[in-house]
Amino acid sequence: MPSPDTSQDIATLYRFLAQCMHYPDSDWMNEDFLNVFYNLLGTLGGIEEGVEIRKSINNAEDYLEDLQVEYTRLFINGVPHVVAPPYGSVYMDKSLQGTFAGNTLAFYREKGFAMDQNADLPDHLIHELEFLSLLAEENDSAGEKEFLKKLFRPWYTQFHARVTKEAHHPYFRVVVMLIDFFTKEEDEDGFQPNEA
Amino acid sequence: MAFNLTRRKFLQTASLAAAAVPLSKVVSASTGVTKAPLDAKGTNGDKTVVGGICEMCFWRCQLVGKVRDGRLMKLEGNPKSIDNGTAICARGNAGVKLLYDVDRLKYPMKNVGKRGEPKWKRISWKEALDECGSKLKSTVDKYGAQGICVFPHGSSAKYPMHYFERAVGTHNVSEASFFQCRGIRDTAYVATIGKAPGEKIDMPNTKVLFFIGDHLGENVHVSHIKAYIQGLQNGAKLIVADPRFSASAAKADIWVQIKPGTDTAYILAIMNYLVKNNKYDKKFVEEHTDGFEEFSAAISEWSLEKAAKECDIPAEQIKEVAEMLAANAPNVAIHPGRHVSWYGNDFQRQRALACLTGILGAYYVKGGWVPSKGPKVGGVSWAKEDHGHKYNLNFDHHEDEKVHPFNPPGTPTELIRDCAISGKPYPIKSCVVWGQNPMQTIPGQEKMKDLFRAMDFVMCVDVMPTDVTMWADILLPEASYLERYDYIKKGTQWDLSKEHQQYISARIPFIPAMFERKDQIYITNEIAKRMGHEAKIPVKTIEEMVDKSLATANLSIEKLKAEDGIHIQPGKDPYGIPEDFEVLLYNEDIEDAGHPGAPTYKPVEQPPKGFARLLYGRAPVHTFNRSQNNVWLKNAMPDNPVWLNDQVAANLGLIDGDVVGFVNSEGVESRTTTTVKVTPGIRKDCVYMYHGYGSANPLLTIGVGAGVDDQSLITKLAVDPETGCNGMRNNFVKLIKDGKVLDIPA
Repeated sequence: MPSPDTSQDIATLYRFLAQCMHYPDSDWMNEDFLNVFYNLLGTLGGIEEGVEIRKSINNAEDYLEDLQVEYTRLFINGVPHVVAPPYGSVYMDKSLQGTFAGNTLAFYREKGFAMDQNADLPDHLIHELEFLSLLAEENDSAGEKEFLKKLFRPWYTQFHARVTKEAHHPYFRVVVMLIDFFTKEEDEDGFQPNEA
Repeated sequence: MAFNLTRRKFLQTASLAAAAVPLSKVVSASTGVTKAPLDAKGTNGDKTVVGGICEMCFWRCQLVGKVRDGRLMKLEGNPKSIDNGTAICARGNAGVKLLYDVDRLKYPMKNVGKRGEPKWKRISWKEALDECGSKLKSTVDKYGAQGICVFPHGSSAKYPMHYFERAVGTHNVSEASFFQCRGIRDTAYVATIGKAPGEKIDMPNTKVLFFIGDHLGENVHVSHIKAYIQGLQNGAKLIVADPRFSASAAKADIWVQIKPGTDTAYILAIMNYLVKNNKYDKKFVEEHTDGFEEFSAAISEWSLEKAAKECDIPAEQIKEVAEMLAANAPNVAIHPGRHVSWYGNDFQRQRALACLTGILGAYYVKGGWVPSKGPKVGGVSWAKEDHGHKYNLNFDHHEDEKVHPFNPPGTPTELIRDCAISGKPYPIKSCVVWGQNPMQTIPGQEKMKDLFRAMDFVMCVDVMPTDVTMWADILLPEASYLERYDYIKKGTQWDLSKEHQQYISARIPFIPAMFERKDQIYITNEIAKRMGHEAKIPVKTIEEMVDKSLATANLSIEKLKAEDGIHIQPGKDPYGIPEDFEVLLYNEDIEDAGHPGAPTYKPVEQPPKGFARLLYGRAPVHTFNRSQNNVWLKNAMPDNPVWLNDQVAANLGLIDGDVVGFVNSEGVESRTTTTVKVTPGIRKDCVYMYHGYGSANPLLTIGVGAGVDDQSLITKLAVDPETGCNGMRNNFVKLIKDGKVLDIPA
């Protein structure tokens, strides 16, 4: 079990990952955020990825609009079709609000959590990351592990693959890679295979 | 691409602590998942919600929803319903899949690409409404209210339609349900009996059902089908005129395999036979009709033989039909039809049906045309205002008369499109599309695109990304019928011979609107505020609108909920003819307006050599394009095979299941292909397919490109002169197999 301090840091990390998946808006998607994002990438040895994103942002006439258009296309409604709706049920039940969403909500409840009135659907990627953050805050690493295994990874791998393949903007490719990195199972030796 | 350390290593080292501090400064404080009391395992919050009213089609059956944990699990007919009862159709069941369709519109979006080739960007409601309001106001300021055209459809479009017509003041509103569907029927019957007929024939209690092209069974509306089946079970004879062996033809006692476009000649010959042989209802004609002499003289040329030749059917069969009707009159049900915008000669055919009902004395009698006596519930909407005729495109100012004198409400579509594209007689520069998909409801897709290209601004409101939404500058997501209050459904028990009862129900949502979808009252009012009409807003919320309407019947939303969603009260006997009821067999006003005052047959163009006429109709599990993306319904009927006569198929070397495309007589090719259904059940001179397939918008990930879009092949635009409505069955096609165009043998 991680120390309470580590758990708090992990909780912060999940919250940050959830933040990365919000619709890009000038309220939060700004220089401060991007600098923190680049620093995290640097800490992980992802300098090249950071450079690619920075280049894309610096070369854009309106980088925020580019990110908004790309977010809309990838996750909301896109031409030729929405690439990767960020809801577990879409992958597990081929529909919004399928049984999988119900199971996700039930898991939240069993752990003493519920959806806020203004929240998106329970199996939205952002909320699942928020939930993982809340579990980490409570130092419930068993719950975190169970949730990742049963209700997160089964669909996230498909989502991740779609975004990786279809994203035009490097920001989203890197964000889903980060989320993958921090939610992926590792073997006993802590070895994480390099898929590249 | 991968990071150069492991997750575990990162989490175990000081790196995490170092990284976490700055991370915490850039995340938002609130979360969508919050602390709550612990909950026991197992299902939670199962309930049956009452008050739903379906909108998978216009029939609008009464529903209950099975809801678990805020998720709609299943739809069923409301057990209290005296209309559809516990039954709902395949489409009704599949409403769940519409609700949770991932392709549905979720947030307001702005097109930052080209119109017609959109690049969508999610925007806030404020930005969307500001843009809609300012663009529409700018159009009005620069060009006048007439500078806006509106294409509305469905129950949610009524309130915004009234806003643009009444408060803003544009005449340029065109509803597909009128101008490409039933408007002709309604105005023809109004010109004959003073009322729109609906589908108000007393089928359960009739002795003979008479259908012209109606294909009940493929055309499924629950209580209508119940009434139809009850009639057949009670022993009613069924006469079906259709070039195709439809679901109704399959149950018919007499199937009249009529040549397309000649229906009016057939009806005139039946009426002429009845008149000439004194087999009409003389008492009814004397007491309740006007113009019999002119009428009988006008139709006198239509001998059985002449009609037989024109309609390509046996004279003896026409006589058999006429005799069957006469022998069972007045208890005969002449179905007025619904989608009747076929050939551009349709007003006269619909008049003929109304007159046939009249000379058989089949109004207000058991088994005839009988309007049920439903409850009265008042409506609430924008106050009517007189905006004059100056900018009414359907008004000829030189002649001081209407261009199409018997038009249904609104302005004929072609008049709007011609004006918008040419800029004459005045500019139309903004377009509002609300719940309609003009790309697939209105013939002439290129012309529709030209209209959009001519606009300064286009906004669409819909639940799904239908083909037309590709042409929007601003696209607004509307709450679906399962997520909003609105429509008030009222009526009586479906079998008029049973205990007379009336019902009133109102649409009540099963779940709150998901994402950022909004209802029509919110959207319209917010636009109205931005256009300077805040003082005229009649209701603040959709709940207020429904409650104000229900109050006129001493009801409320809460009372309806307490009554399981449906209020039932004693009804009234609908039989018995009103004293002042009159059938205008000959209508002088029609004659004065320059059209035949008695029902008259106008021949239509025949297929050129090598072509077959393209016919289309309803599929039992789809409501045209609206349900194409529904995965359950898609699986039930994935495409629309083209019906091809077996002898024609043999000559062409085609077999069942061959894949074909189409080219029409104007050289337009279908974008997609479909399969061939080889059958003796269709005439050689026509082909048939279900309407509404082959969507072009890739945002419909299920429906895009599935089957062939018949509307894309309907490029010759016929207009019914009396009404201004379109005729859509005057287009001719050849098949394309493996890139080779096949001539249809004569």
